Amino acid sequence: MNQVLVMAIKDLRLLFRDKLGAFFIIGFPILMGLFFGMVMGGPSSAGAQSKIKIAMVDLDQSEVSGEFVRFMAAHESIALAESDYDAARESVRKGQRMAMVVLEKGFGETAGVFWNQPPTIQVGVDPSRAAEAAMLQGMVMEGIGQLAGQRMTDMSSMSDTLASARDDLAADETISPGNRLLFNTFLGSLENMQKSIDALQTDSSVSSAGPVNAGGFEFAKIESIDVSRKIDPKSQAGQMRQLKSKWDISFPQAMMWGVLACVAGFAISIARERTQGTMMRLQIAPITRSQILMGKALACFLSVILVVAFMIGLGMFLGMRPGNYWMLAIAALCVATCFTGIMMIMSNLGKTEQSVNGAGWAISMVMAMIGGAMIPVMFMPQFMQKLSYLSPIKWAILAVEGAVWREFSVAEMMLPCGILLVTGLVGMAVGTAILTRE
Amino acid sequence: MADSLATISSLRKSFGDLKAVDDLSFSIRQGETFGLLGPNGAGKTTTISMLVGLLKPDSGTVSIGSPECSNASDPTLPRVRKLVGVAPQTLSIYEAMSAKENLEFFGQLYGISGTKLRERVAWCLDFAQLADRAKSRVSTFSGGMKRRLNIAVALLHEPAVLLLDEPTVGVDPQSRNHIFECIQTLREQGMTILYTTHYMEEAQRLCDRVAIVDHGKLLALDTVDHLLRQYGGASVVTADLETTPNGVEIPGTRTGNTIRFEAQHPLEEVARLSGKGVAFQTLNIAQPNLESVFLTLTGRKLRDE
Ligand SMILES: Nc1ncnc2c1ncn2[C@@H]1O[C@H](COP(=O)(O)OP(=O)(O)O)[C@@H](O)[C@H]1O
Ligand SMILES: [Mg+2]
Repeated sequence: MNQVLVMAIKDLRLLFRDKLGAFFIIGFPILMGLFFGMVMGGPSSAGAQSKIKIAMVDLDQSEVSGEFVRFMAAHESIALAESDYDAARESVRKGQRMAMVVLEKGFGETAGVFWNQPPTIQVGVDPSRAAEAAMLQGMVMEGIGQLAGQRMTDMSSMSDTLASARDDLAADETISPGNRLLFNTFLGSLENMQKSIDALQTDSSVSSAGPVNAGGFEFAKIESIDVSRKIDPKSQAGQMRQLKSKWDISFPQAMMWGVLACVAGFAISIARERTQGTMMRLQIAPITRSQILMGKALACFLSVILVVAFMIGLGMFLGMRPGNYWMLAIAALCVATCFTGIMMIMSNLGKTEQSVNGAGWAISMVMAMIGGAMIPVMFMPQFMQKLSYLSPIKWAILAVEGAVWREFSVAEMMLPCGILLVTGLVGMAVGTAILTRE
Repeated sequence: MADSLATISSLRKSFGDLKAVDDLSFSIRQGETFGLLGPNGAGKTTTISMLVGLLKPDSGTVSIGSPECSNASDPTLPRVRKLVGVAPQTLSIYEAMSAKENLEFFGQLYGISGTKLRERVAWCLDFAQLADRAKSRVSTFSGGMKRRLNIAVALLHEPAVLLLDEPTVGVDPQSRNHIFECIQTLREQGMTILYTTHYMEEAQRLCDRVAIVDHGKLLALDTVDHLLRQYGGASVVTADLETTPNGVEIPGTRTGNTIRFEAQHPLEEVARLSGKGVAFQTLNIAQPNLESVFLTLTGRKLRDE
């Protein structure tokens, strides 16, 4: 094992010493990742600052409902469009808008008036946007709170009246002590009530995710509408909607160029050991042939892991946020296994560095192109998408993406990871068999 | 031969119809420098490959081992491999690594580490006279420097037997002398060496015993002196004469003033002529060498000029 490690360290050192090789392993993938990341732009919801798109349906068309719509539209976190009920529902289902808010008829009469039955507000939210749904609910409550506050301005002007009334009452000596007590009690309770409403109003405007039920008054009933998505999660738009950063697509695909460069580098290095005569010295050293090959395989494996880790690290520095680090680690191990196996087969494609290099890159380019390392598979024509199943690159990208942004379950990860592992193990077995037989 | 370190017997190897090694047997004794002399394609490299277990012989046996362990040893065993150091005919060092890194890497492959490794690497760099270029990449080295490093790597793990396959091929005369000096040093230290070459003067100069091979067959095996005496033939004397007293019989052929004759003991013959009053203008005595031995044995020259 020690010898295998010695071999691997030597090979890694040689790999990165070759300037052109090192460029293709690290430099080129960085350029690809940055370039395509910029070109593609971000997903529509990228970043916490972007607005929540909602469709507003005002069935009441009253002054108060208009007030509410204006308030919501003015909110800095909301991009609002008014529409009719059916259009609104359709837009949410298609994933064009994140939510719809429906103000029912009679909204104006009851909204913000605490002694009435609270108004019903229907909200329909894209099921995949749980976080934004909670935010929206808070904003709706904020809007209602605002309305209630406005309604009470009448009351606050009344509070001046109340105060002056009390003064008048105190100054008026014609009123009997019994009546004075009665009036004072009445005015006092009016004042108390008014204070509690004031408190309520400040409460709901401070907390963005305000309680549905505040200060003992039910403010508004939020009813949810079923807007289960019609949008196919496998469609382009469906996939794009899951993106969390603009580097989510470009980096997993760009890192594959680095992975392929590692594969080519090590496949060539086996041929180079032959042509520069060092294979002979390795073969007469007190190590076995399989140890020699295991050294190569280990070096290739490690370099692929390095490339993936480096590219993920750079992506994260730029804002990529992998969803599941454990799965990402497993994906990286599977990718490394797969391409180590491919390397072992590739090293048999020729006897000289030139022939291995030529044949190796030709195959790599095809794998990369149909596997989506240049243009993402989801943007390819249908027949190409089918063809891509043949490319290990496709599965490698899928495995990394599954962990980074596709939110794959363990079961969903099984397919790409399984394919990668099997490909890798078969490649290693076949490659080693051929290499040790000669 | 109890003190032989490496023995091959009745070794055969064919590539298709070509008999590269054909019933070859010899033993290398401890402490000697054993020459394997033959033209290109004679089967020298093939023999070495079988000796170190790189090639499997069609028939015959190879055994390598110190005199103490009497049992014949298969060269593919790791224990046996540590006994052998090889400087292959084709350079086998990493061009992209420095001399030091090459030595360190191969040292580690042989299981050497720590202080021991540092010491051995320093010794080897010193031996190859590369200490001042230790950290330079091999790709910047001259042919001679690469050859020296190629030999040094073979010595790193202190092998019992050193196999040098044409260590001077493609090297300028100065570097060649350099390499000779290195090998001379090793001889004096008692290293057991197998030296293959197609240069007869190298074999003659460096080797205690020489095996002459051609077409995979062993033609002769003896000390250089014995080979010369047995197969070398007479020395050839050529001279331009100044004066020739009358009545003195000149041997060989004469054209004008130039004479040419063969003699087993050329100096005595020249002295005899001189005693009779023959005055020499120029005198050239060509002693027999391994070239003439090869000519005698095969009817061909060792090298096609
Ligand atoms: N791997 C091989 N395949 C076919 N022929 C070979 C091979 N290796 C050597 N030969 C042939 O065997 C003969 C002996 O070669 P070699 O041992 O390299 O000679 P030398 O080292 O004495 O120059 C040559 O004719 C060479 O062409
Ligand atoms: Mg040779």
